Amino acid sequence: MVDTLYGWIVAAPAIPNDVGGKYVAGAYIVFVVLLLIYVGIMARKLAGIERGLREVAEVAEQRKADAGETEHAEVKS
Amino acid sequence: MTPSRTAFAAILGKDLRAELRTLQSLPAMALFAVTSFVIFRFGLNRTSLSGSLAAGVLWATLLFAAVLGINRLFVAEREEGGFDAIRLAPIDRSVLFTAKVAALIIYLVALEIIAVPIFAVFFLNSAAALPPLILVLLLADIGLASAGTLISSMAVNSRARDLLVPLVLLPLVVPLMIAATAATEPLMLLGGVTYHRFGTWLMVLGLYDLIFALLGYAVFDFLLED
Amino acid sequence: MGVDPSMYGKGLRPLSIATPVAFAITLSLVFFYAPIEADQGFLQKIFYLHVPLAITSLCGFIVGGIFAILHLRRDDPRYDAYSYVSIHISVIYACGALITGSIWAKGSWGHWWVWNEPTLVSFLIVFLLYATYYPFRYAIEDRQRQARYASVFAVTAGAFVPLNFLAVRMSASLVHPRVFATAEGGLPGSMMLTFLCSIASMALLWTTLVKFELSAKSAHGQLKRLRRALDAPTGPPTSRIAPEVH
Repeated sequence: MVDTLYGWIVAAPAIPNDVGGKYVAGAYIVFVVLLLIYVGIMARKLAGIERGLREVAEVAEQRKADAGETEHAEVKS
Repeated sequence: MTPSRTAFAAILGKDLRAELRTLQSLPAMALFAVTSFVIFRFGLNRTSLSGSLAAGVLWATLLFAAVLGINRLFVAEREEGGFDAIRLAPIDRSVLFTAKVAALIIYLVALEIIAVPIFAVFFLNSAAALPPLILVLLLADIGLASAGTLISSMAVNSRARDLLVPLVLLPLVVPLMIAATAATEPLMLLGGVTYHRFGTWLMVLGLYDLIFALLGYAVFDFLLED
Repeated sequence: MGVDPSMYGKGLRPLSIATPVAFAITLSLVFFYAPIEADQGFLQKIFYLHVPLAITSLCGFIVGGIFAILHLRRDDPRYDAYSYVSIHISVIYACGALITGSIWAKGSWGHWWVWNEPTLVSFLIVFLLYATYYPFRYAIEDRQRQARYASVFAVTAGAFVPLNFLAVRMSASLVHPRVFATAEGGLPGSMMLTFLCSIASMALLWTTLVKFELSAKSAHGQLKRLRRALDAPTGPPTSRIAPEVH
C-alpha cells in the first residue's frame, strides 16, 4: 500500500484522521483566520491614516512655500 | 423638591389617563395577541395545546405583544414634548423610571386579563392552570416592564426606534422567558396541574426583577441628562 | 488636554512581544505536553482553544461594562472609547468561541449545533445581545448621547451575563449528557497547566488587540486634529458609531 504516493498519504496523514484530527485543525485554522482578517482590516485603516498624513504634509509644505513666497515678494517690494 | 410619592402618582396618573383617553396601545396589543393565537393554531396545526407547547405559545405571544406596545409609552410622550416638562420639574429622575415601570406593568396586566383567558378558551382543556399562572405573570411583568422601560427610554431618542426595542429587548429578556415558560409548563400538562420546581423558577424571576429594577433605577438619571 | 500622546501605543511593544511568546509556549504545551483525554481523544484539544476564547470574551464584556460605569461617573469620553473597543474585541472573540464550539460539537456529537450544552447556548444569547450594540449605537445620532446610552447598554448587558448563565444552566435537562464534559471530573495537573497558559495567552492577545485598536483610533484622531488645525480638506467620512479618540 505504501508503494504509491496515494498509499503514503493514506498511511501517514499529516494529522490523525480517525480521532477527530480534522476538527481540531479546523478549529485552530478558524482562530488563525479570524486573527488575520482582523490584521487585514487594521492594515487598511493604517494605510488610510498614512494617506491622510501624506495629504496633510503636502498641504503644510505648500502653505510654508506660499508663506515663503509672500515674504519674498514683500521684501522685494 | 417635590416629594417622590406625589411625583410618582402624578406621572403614573398622567400616563394612564393619556392611554385611557386615546386607547391607542391596549386594544392593539390585545388584538395582536389574539390574532397570534390563531396563527399559532394554524402554524402548529393543533387545536389544543399542553405542557411546553402551551407555555411556549402563550409566552412568545405575550412577549411579542409587549414589545410592540412598549414603544408607545415613550414615543407619544416624546412627540408631545412631555419629556422636557418632566426634565425641568424638580423631581428625582429615578421617580420617572418607577412611574414608567408601574404604568407598563398595568398595561401588561390589562393585556393579560384579556389575552390569557382567551388563550385558555382556545387551547387549554381546563382553567385550572390559571390561578397559579397569575403569580408567574405578575413576576414576569415586573421584569419585562423594567427592562422594557430601560431600553425604550433610550430607543425613543434614536432613528430606528421601532426596530431598536425588539432588537435589543428580546435577547435581554431571554432569561425571563426561560424562567416563565419553565414555571408555566408543569401547570399546563395534560394530566393536571403540577408544580415541578415552581418555587425555584419564581425565585429566578424574582432575581431578574430585582436586578433590572435596581439597574434601571440607578442608571436612569444618566439617560435624561441633556 | 494634558494627555500623553503616546499613551495608547506605550504598552504595546512589550505586549506584542509577550503575546506570541505566550502562544508559542501554549501551543507547544497543547500538542506536545498535554495528554490525550480518555473520552474524547484528540478532539479534546479544541478545549484549549474554545474555552479560553469564551472565558476571555466574557471577561472582556465585564471589562467593557466597568469602563462604561467609569464613563458615566467621570464623564470622560476616553472611557467610552475603552468600553467600545473592549466590547468590540470581545464580540470577535465570542464569534471565535461560537465557531470553535460548533466545530467541537460536530466532532463529538455529530451536529453543528447542540442545545444540550448550556454554556454554549448561554454564550449564543450573550453574543446576540452584544451584537445589537452596533445597530444600537448607530441609531443614536448625537455623539454625546450615543456614548452615554452605549455605556448604559454596556452596564445592563454586563449585569445580564451572569443572570443568563444561571437561567440557561438551570433549564438544562439533566437527562442529556453534557457535550463538553471535560471539566466535570477535574483536570489533571498537566491539562490544567496547559489550560491556564492558554487563558493567559488569550488574555494577552485580547489586551494587545485592544491597545492596538485604541492606538489606531488615536492616530486617526490626531490626523483629524491636524487637518482641522491646518484648515486642510477633511478626509473621508468617519464611522458614525466608533467613538473618536484624541
